[in-house]
Amino acid sequence: MEARLYILNVEKDPAEAARIAAEAAQRIESKQLKLLELVQSIGEHLTDEDTTTRAKAIGYLAAVLDSLNPRTLTRHQIPVVSQFLCDRLEDETGLKSTATALTALGKMEYFGKNEAIMVATALVKVDLPKHPPSTRFMALSLVDALMARHRDALKEMGDTWIAGLADLVGGEKDPRNLMIVFSVMKVILVEFDISNHEELMFDIIYCYFPIAFRPPPNDPHKITAQDLKSRLRGCLAATPRFSGLLFPRLIEKLDSTTSSVKLDVLQTMSACALSYGPGTMSIHCSQIWDAVKFELLVAAGDEDLVKEALEVLMSVAISLSSGIRAYPSPNTPLARYLKAIVTECLNLLKEPQQKQAKPAGQIVAIVATASAVAHAFIVKSTFPVFMSILSDAVAITKRRALMESLNLMFEATGKVYGTWSEKSDPQPISNLLDEYSEKLFEVYSQALMGSSPEETSYRLTAMRGLGLLTKMRDYLADSEIGMVVQYLDDVALEWNEKEEVRDEALRILREISTYRGKLIMDITFPAFMARLPDSEEHMDEHKHYRATLEALAKLSSERPLFEVMLTRLLNKLDVILQENCSPDYPRSILLTVLYVLRGRATSPITSEEAKAYYQRLIPRLVTKTVLPLIGKSQSSTILADEKVVDVTGRLMVIILQNVDGDLQKSVVSDVFNLIVFNQPSSLLIDNSEAVAANFKPLDIDAESQTSTVAVLLAYVLASSRREIALPYEDLHNFLQKIITVAENPKTPSHRLALLRIIGLIVNKWMTQKTDIEKLEPVVEGLMKDITTTNGGFNNVSGERLRVVFWVVKALLMRVERLGLYYISKLIELLGDPTYGDMVSRGFGVLMGDDELLNKQHYAVVRLLAKQQVFSLCLPKLVDGFKSAIAETKPNFLIALSNILRNVSSSVIKPELPALLPLLLQSLDLSDAEVKAATIETLHVTLLESADALKEYASSVITRLLTASGVDKGTGNSPAVRISALKCLESFPEALRTELILPYKRDVLRKLMTVLDDPKRTVRNAAVDCRHKWFHLGEQSS
Amino acid sequence: MDGKTANANPTILDRSDLPTRQPALTPESRLSPIESTVPTYPLDPFTTSPSPLSSTSSDDATPDPIDAQEIYDLVANITDPEHPISLGELAVVNLSDITVHDAPHSPFSHVQLEFTPTVTHCHLATVIGLALVVRLRESLPARFRVDVRCKEGTHSTAEQLNKQLGDKERVVSAVENASLREALRKMMLSV
Repeated sequence: MEARLYILNVEKDPAEAARIAAEAAQRIESKQLKLLELVQSIGEHLTDEDTTTRAKAIGYLAAVLDSLNPRTLTRHQIPVVSQFLCDRLEDETGLKSTATALTALGKMEYFGKNEAIMVATALVKVDLPKHPPSTRFMALSLVDALMARHRDALKEMGDTWIAGLADLVGGEKDPRNLMIVFSVMKVILVEFDISNHEELMFDIIYCYFPIAFRPPPNDPHKITAQDLKSRLRGCLAATPRFSGLLFPRLIEKLDSTTSSVKLDVLQTMSACALSYGPGTMSIHCSQIWDAVKFELLVAAGDEDLVKEALEVLMSVAISLSSGIRAYPSPNTPLARYLKAIVTECLNLLKEPQQKQAKPAGQIVAIVATASAVAHAFIVKSTFPVFMSILSDAVAITKRRALMESLNLMFEATGKVYGTWSEKSDPQPISNLLDEYSEKLFEVYSQALMGSSPEETSYRLTAMRGLGLLTKMRDYLADSEIGMVVQYLDDVALEWNEKEEVRDEALRILREISTYRGKLIMDITFPAFMARLPDSEEHMDEHKHYRATLEALAKLSSERPLFEVMLTRLLNKLDVILQENCSPDYPRSILLTVLYVLRGRATSPITSEEAKAYYQRLIPRLVTKTVLPLIGKSQSSTILADEKVVDVTGRLMVIILQNVDGDLQKSVVSDVFNLIVFNQPSSLLIDNSEAVAANFKPLDIDAESQTSTVAVLLAYVLASSRREIALPYEDLHNFLQKIITVAENPKTPSHRLALLRIIGLIVNKWMTQKTDIEKLEPVVEGLMKDITTTNGGFNNVSGERLRVVFWVVKALLMRVERLGLYYISKLIELLGDPTYGDMVSRGFGVLMGDDELLNKQHYAVVRLLAKQQVFSLCLPKLVDGFKSAIAETKPNFLIALSNILRNVSSSVIKPELPALLPLLLQSLDLSDAEVKAATIETLHVTLLESADALKEYASSVITRLLTASGVDKGTGNSPAVRISALKCLESFPEALRTELILPYKRDVLRKLMTVLDDPKRTVRNAAVDCRHKWFHLGEQSS
Repeated sequence: MDGKTANANPTILDRSDLPTRQPALTPESRLSPIESTVPTYPLDPFTTSPSPLSSTSSDDATPDPIDAQEIYDLVANITDPEHPISLGELAVVNLSDITVHDAPHSPFSHVQLEFTPTVTHCHLATVIGLALVVRLRESLPARFRVDVRCKEGTHSTAEQLNKQLGDKERVVSAVENASLREALRKMMLSV
């Protein structure tokens, strides 16, 4: 009964069918139903005329078996069911179901050896290749299951199984099935006796090599060519019996012109070399060397091929080295293999500056990494020659080229015998390079320090070599390493050196700092600090202190080094502040600290660490900034300079962002005490009462430097989380106070700081509905005298307009309705002849990313805020532009370009049809900034959605050509000309040739004049652009 | 080894030894990474629009003349027809063998470039010479006369070769040749 129901349901309602099977299984488990009865119940369907019914009937049995607990069927039931199913294997139409059922049966506890043999014997009689892939898949899964659980039984079957299996899997083409075939075959090759079938097995497997498979789109099995390649490679490498058949074929295939095939061949060779064992490899190593060396020395293909070819040579050497624990005697295969290599390569390396010497050096080095014994052999047979070339050769190019190869050898030695940063396993044979250490150190030191500074590459090579020698564990003596550090210090501090030379010296010093930090602290830091002048008087005219600071910063990324540097720099700062100086030097010193802290992105600063930095740095700096301003210190007031305070503020941000909430909170209250409330503040180390009485940075008539210190408030507000309540009770009152100060800013950075304070308060702390309601009259008041003006430009109104933009910016980040309302007002103001220009620039601020008012500094930013603002503004701008008078039209275009510059191209893309006419008009303006921004937008459009530009190609190309012409009051600055040329250069690749071919002649002719541009950078861009167009329409093969 | 190769194992210069334009940067003008940790704000974005371009673009007041280094940079990256190596690295073109006479407002400017084949019997010297002529013609203003020749004593058939390269019509017809054109295209891929 259930059988019939199952057969009826299995196609139209698989879930129901599964339920029926599961229920039957349960009844069998609870002994309400006997399995034999169930088998009998399907019996009647097995003689059905309809082949699918027969298959479904077996499918029912399979589904029931699959749902059964493996312990349910007894020792007696299993053979019966097995026999029954094996008989069914003869019914070809039911093969898929039968195989499924057998796979399920195979999982039963009492399915034993005899059953496995019974099934295997029946299975090999099936003519599998004629079945469809999904059926073959089930049969192969059965094979896989048998191999997994009853391998010994199958081994007993001997040749019957192996030959039978060969018939089953031969000619398989389906990738999913091949994945099974390869993994089954690998087991056969490794564990079964295939001595009678070597060639048969090889043929079955090798016929798939090389895999040229491209997965179909949406392949549900997600099998890649690489998956197949790796499995196939596993089979080929599985048994050394294949070596005689395989290597000659692989070598032949190396002649292929397809590099993916070559790559596959080389990778397969490596895999085989590593697994076949030394005995087998000793037979084939010389033919492999002959074949692979051709690839390296003559063909010299791309980097990947070179890498894999070298890998093969190394793998062979690794294989031949196995078991050898002492220096290889001449008649061992390893010695013969290496000797052949050395003879050939050494010959080439005698003329090291020639092309083939480079691969020869790579070969020698890579085989030396194979093992300590290979390393010993290579060193012993090459270094005497290398050293004599070095002592004879006078030509620097020759010495340099050889030293390049030696450097590779040092790297090899580092891999075998370990470096300071990476220890190696103990090696059976000592490092033969040891005996050359003094000589090498001498030669390399001489090359670096004793040759003319003009010899860039020679000295770079020498320096890298010294770096590698230093890095090798237990190689150079500590005194020698110390000397290397001194040499590198000298190079890094020698301003006449080329930059790349100094950079390389620093790079190596930095590497040394990771394993010999103490040497850097003891030798390098004092040397560098000594170069920092104590006052401006002692400064050289080129201000080299910047480079010195840069070098110090680059060496101080590790915490202990940073702390030493911090102490030394702060002491230096104290010395400098004794005398008057310009803000640049103290600023650079603080920037150095900031640079290192910012560079710590990879290993975040812990809160404990941040707290320590806070205590050492911030109160000290704030005190030194403030006290001189109220006459409580004789030191220079220069730390209160706007350029320096700015950096102090940023230091506070990076440190405060990493401290815990409690400290953050107390710093907020301290900074309010210092700047807003004029109360004693613990940001000061001493004199806090005097400061409270005399230091009033928010007073309208405060001194400029005193006012500037308010900048710190902006930075502290930026680094505070929103949850930290501000100590000012009535925020509106506070905002109003700041706005009043902002109406008369003292300096540009003072102005920016006040605007930011306004933006930060509005965005982060005025989030209640009532806050917004109170905000509206404030903005209205600020706008009032602008909109009612009929006189000329008024400075205070200008400042108020800036405040409006920042308030609106802060609101728009949260997409507040009030913000959206005022943005429309601002667009209307673009038509104002007095303030329109200023408003147009303001849109850059409105849409731009601010460094402090942003998500990283805990601002509220709604998802897609910019996108919403953009789609609101665009139609208004387009309409405004259309109806504006000629005089104010450019304002709309400038505003547009300021908006476009700040939204992503995916947002712009759908609006392009509406935008393009405006963009083209922007190119006719004579404003360089607008032009540059517009060309940038066009360029991005061209690269990302060229189709949108298709119908405008003619006008765009014409305007770009015009924009690439020299500036004659057209606003075509060199930067505009270059970006126009770069955009033009992208046309041939972005649009179909036939679309732009009509313009080729014109472009080439016009660009001929640009080739004569007065600026070289423009000429270079013109040459590249013209080159692209020159070859437009040519066949590329 | 391939019998057709003219010179399988030529001498190669290291890239860092090739002549480059030394940027006229003193440590003062060089923007150190430390100084650029922090943006230098423009005075006021509301009156002048902020621009990342203004710092890099130099003005037109001081023109840069076309000099030998510029010519060298135009041709040094052309790939040799038989090695994947540039003419600069192979020392086929050398800065010292380039002379430029640039008279911006007269039609009589000229460039002379002498190249050095890697071996005296190099049968590819013609192709190299041709590539140099084509590249310079394509890249220099029309007022320049381009004179590419084989350096004296560096090639067995130098005289004949120079005649070919100097003959405008022969150059034009050579470039019309499809296989030659393809060879040139490949050499120029790296410029």
